[in-house]
Amino acid sequence: MSSPLPTTIDTEHPAVATHGLHKYYRRNRALERLDLTVPAGAVYLLVGPNGSGKTTTMKILLDLARADEGSTTVFGLSPISDGPLVRAQIGYVPEGRIPGYEWMRIDHLLTHHAVYYPSWDEEYARSLIAALEIDLKKKFQKLSKGEARRVQLVMALAHRPPLLLLDEPMDGLDPVVRDRVIEILATHLAETPTTVLASTHHIQELEKLADHLGVIREGILLAQSDTTTLHTRLKRYRIEASSDWTAPESLAAAIVRRNGSGPELALDIWGEEAAVTADLAGSGSTVRQVAALNLEETAISLLSEPETVS
Amino acid sequence: MPIVFTIDPADARPIYVQIMDEVRRGLAVGTLAPDEPLPSVRQLAADLRVNPNTVQQAWRELEREGLIYVRRGQGTFVAETVRPEHERRTVSRHVAERALRDAFRHGLTRDELIATLEQLEPSGTDITDETEKRNTKGADR
Repeated sequence: MSSPLPTTIDTEHPAVATHGLHKYYRRNRALERLDLTVPAGAVYLLVGPNGSGKTTTMKILLDLARADEGSTTVFGLSPISDGPLVRAQIGYVPEGRIPGYEWMRIDHLLTHHAVYYPSWDEEYARSLIAALEIDLKKKFQKLSKGEARRVQLVMALAHRPPLLLLDEPMDGLDPVVRDRVIEILATHLAETPTTVLASTHHIQELEKLADHLGVIREGILLAQSDTTTLHTRLKRYRIEASSDWTAPESLAAAIVRRNGSGPELALDIWGEEAAVTADLAGSGSTVRQVAALNLEETAISLLSEPETVS
Repeated sequence: MPIVFTIDPADARPIYVQIMDEVRRGLAVGTLAPDEPLPSVRQLAADLRVNPNTVQQAWRELEREGLIYVRRGQGTFVAETVRPEHERRTVSRHVAERALRDAFRHGLTRDELIATLEQLEPSGTDITDETEKRNTKGADR
């Protein structure tokens, strides 16, 4: 039984494209046959449990890690053979802190960082520092997790790179700052043509910015699509059916998630709404409601797909 | 800006549709009138914390429907030809459709819903939050 979920994204202008990436850390699978496509200008959310390969994927794009097999391009360039050119176009908020720079004062750290980027926009950096209430006189090692995050966001945004890699950008931030960061990102996208690849456990916060979603588990990309397609094709059907009701054959592979065992059932089904509704009605059930899923529900639903035997 | 846009990510409607509906709501209640300016894409994206492309999409669709137009270098405006009465009817139909869908989910017929609507206070001013109202009722008992 093959899954109907979309795993490829068609685009003439991919900002990021990986083909068949394999990566093992000793015997642990980090990535398997990863074909990730981020169209230019997209805001792509990569979602999955801890250890599912999100950070490894970003590191490969920066050549901070190398795949065992497969190929990667960033704006058509290889991170391996064109490393400096690729990295110059990327703003990166890493998952952890910045090793090696803990002793630096923030103002010195930013000055040092700016030198590497000809496109550094000092005026913009200042406005971000003010908006994120960063204390420039502190040493990096004295910063809390949230304070370090804010500094890392300035470092990533202020040179207005064509590609932003944000690894858990909301981690450690308080609710007010999180809201401000979203506002900053929305404004940034309006002012600067940017492609964003972000991993997050806080889907709801980035949902309104995202236009693509990728769902990854144990190194395998279960699905990736633009959010409009997800919104229209994956729906939650609330039905009433007798306890011996079974799903019609036509829908067997399309039911992504199932809740309840009758007489009321909630089924997340992939497909064209009218056809699915007709199939459900034809199987002797009453369809009470067809509801769209928000992005978090969508991700949870897609991640609940049973392990496929490959 | 005369109108405050509000959207809800939990709503079943895509965000660009919600933004379009907000413009219609503004026209229906009168906080937005023909030839009045709309916020810029950048401004509305920042205010709503949404992707600027989403605002762009809403503006594009509304322009296609003839509700708004772009004046080069000056911004986006409500079209002069917009008839608020017509938008009131559109908004009314949307609200009715949502109510009907909700009724059906609760196993109610259209007639039951209409009968109940007619029993409700005709004031139209009871805008208390539903949870609040229920809590107060509980306290009365």
